[in-house]
This record gives sequence, structure tokens and C-alpha cells, in this order.
Amino acid sequence: MKSARMFYLLLLSLATAAFGQGTPAKNASPQSQATPQAAPTIAIIVDRQVSIVERELVGAAEAMPEDKYNFAPSSLNIPGSEYKSVRTFAQQVKHVAATNFALWGPLVGEKPASDDDDGPASMTSKADIVKYLKDSFALGHRAAKTLTAESSVEMIPSPFGPGQVAKLFCGTFTVAHAFDHYGQIVEYLRMNGIVPPASRGGN
Amino acid sequence: MQLLRTFCLLLVLSAAVSVFAQAGGSAAKGTPAGSAPQAQTTPQPAPTISGIVDRQISQLEKQIVAAAEAMPEDKFEYAPTNLNLKDSRDPMRSFAFEVKHVATANYAFWSPITGDPLPAGIKGPNGPEDIKTKAEIVKYLKDSYALGHKAAATLTGDNLLDQLPMFQGKAPRLYLATFAVAHGYDHYGQMALYLRMNGITPPASRTEPK
Repeated sequence: MKSARMFYLLLLSLATAAFGQGTPAKNASPQSQATPQAAPTIAIIVDRQVSIVERELVGAAEAMPEDKYNFAPSSLNIPGSEYKSVRTFAQQVKHVAATNFALWGPLVGEKPASDDDDGPASMTSKADIVKYLKDSFALGHRAAKTLTAESSVEMIPSPFGPGQVAKLFCGTFTVAHAFDHYGQIVEYLRMNGIVPPASRGGN
Repeated sequence: MQLLRTFCLLLVLSAAVSVFAQAGGSAAKGTPAGSAPQAQTTPQPAPTISGIVDRQISQLEKQIVAAAEAMPEDKFEYAPTNLNLKDSRDPMRSFAFEVKHVATANYAFWSPITGDPLPAGIKGPNGPEDIKTKAEIVKYLKDSYALGHKAAATLTGDNLLDQLPMFQGKAPRLYLATFAVAHGYDHYGQMALYLRMNGITPPASRTEPK
């Protein structure tokens, strides 16, 4: 029963930290806990989700040593595994950032600097890749701020071809996409003997 | 490599574009076969927040249910213990745990929206202990997404920001509805690697036959 309580407290902390009620997030700053929070808006709700995945992904990217950035599970030669053509750690991080730029950019009227799914090919150093990731989340925060009840259902041209997508979809699904790759990145870290920072402490 | 990358990136938006597509002409470049033609010929209603959220739930549901179904039953308790992975959790999470955890969290996020009670027997993040077989686990997962669709259907412009009780706190309805999807994708990413460790390409990552 204790584990059930911990589980709900964790979910609750993710859900309520931004809204000034319930249990504060484990990593919430003292300032954020002491300052009365504004009433939730769509912008705040989406921004909170951007912050959560940003914290986890940037922490993971920073936790991987630079000499492991080209690691891919295929190098482990796990018997019976199927890891052909999967991304390296660096490509995972760059792909998340590139997608962030592609999907959040239209909300603020900006085009991504790179059209490559995995970001600029010339970007190879850990410092540059982490900065690219951080910059993409800075864009995410600006994009979230544009979302209102009216703008959320506005249709914009798809960044990837014919068709349109709703602004709210760009705002929130980009977070979900990032979490997909975060889930893969944590396994890459564990394969290299590293506990993901967000999982330390038994979470 | 480039093909795979292109496919994966396009997959992100293909479903969204197919539902919301209003432009004429051909399907989005790289869109998996069969996902778009109907949307191109049938005028779509104006998007609603309910519809947008429901679409996100559907997209994850399709991927994660297919992933769960792709793992053979005798591998459901698989955990990569043989790889000596660094893990702060003991015991290491099995594939079954990942699936049950996603479903359990779905119930935790979406039940406050619909007012439905949580399934009986939840004692922790692994869900009810008496759900053990692949069929039971997949059903538990599918049922959680049925609840998600029910939750999404409640969303209106007037209630998005309503603070709903969750355990001992509160959270906005829109947050609960959408963050469940983000949480599910976190574990989907891990499940995809568990599948690959067992020689199985996740169904959503398989390319269409030429």
C-alpha cells in the first residue's frame, strides 16, 4: 500500500506542482513552492508539460559522457536483438530538438534552422548538442505562451507536408514525442551504467 | 538510415495531419498507406479541443497496444537483467510491468475526469496483482484507453481549466487529459527497446512493404 501511495504522490506531483496545490514536485525550486501560483491557463498547462520533459531530457543529455554520445545499442551485439539502423544517443537528442523546432516554431512564426530530422549533421560535440536541445525548449516555452482557447483550435500548415494541424496538437504532442525518445534515452543511459537523473532516488 | 529517420519523423504528424487534413492533393510525404485518403475527400468538422486530445490518445493507443500485442506471452516477464543495466529499481521493470504501469497511470489521470472509480485491486504502480496473462494485461491496457476517450469527450472550452481532485490534490482537466499521453510515450519508448532486445521491431517502426 505504501507503493500505491508513492505512485499517486508522484503522479500528483507531476500534475499539481505548476498549479500551486497538492504536493510540490520533488525538484520544484523553493521559490516556486513559496510563490502563489496564477490560476491555470492553457498556456500555463502546456508550459508546465514542456518544463517537465525539458528537465528530464536535459538532465539525461548532460548525464551521458561525451565519449558515449555516439553509442547505439547495436554496439552491444545482444544475441537475438534487432537494433539495425537505430539512432545513436546523439541522434536521439538531436532528433528531439529538431522536432521541437519543427513543431513549436510555427506557433511563434519561426522556421527551423535545419530541415534534417536529426538536426544539423555538422553538430557533433556534446556542448553543442545540449545547447541545441536547451534552445529548442526555450522555443517551447515561447510557443506555449501563445496558446489560448481561441488559438488552440486554429489550424496551421503542417511542417512536414500537405495538410494542417491544430496549434494545441503542436503544443502538447511535441511533449509526448519528446517523452517517447526520452524513454529510449534512459535505456541508452542504463546500458552505459548510468541511472537517469530523473530516476535517482527510486522514482 | 535516412529512410528510417524520415519515416519516424513523418509518423509523428501523419496521424494528426490525416485527421485534420483540409488541404487537397496528395497525402503527406511519407504518410503510411491508408491513413490519409479518407480525410482528403471528406470535409472535416472544425477542430475542437476534445477532438485534438482524443486524437493524441488514439495515436499513442495504436502504437502501444500494437507493441504490447507484438511481444510473445512467454516474454512478458522479460527484463534486461542479462545486460547488467544500471537500474535504481529493484527488481528491474519487466515488459509486463511497463504495460501495466502505463495502464494504471492512465486510470489515475483519467478517472478524475470521468468520475469513474479506479479498477479494483490497484496496490501500486504495477496495477492489480491478479492481472497476469498477456490477454489480461492487454485488455487492462485497452480498457484504460477506452477511459481516455471517454475523458477526452468531456473537454469543452468551458471546463478545460477546472481543477479536479486527484488523490490528495487537484489538477486542471486539460493537464490530466494530455499529460497521460506524454507519460504513456515515456514508457512506450522503453517498451520499444525491450521489443528490440528480443529481436522484434516495434510495429509502429516497421516500414510499409514496397
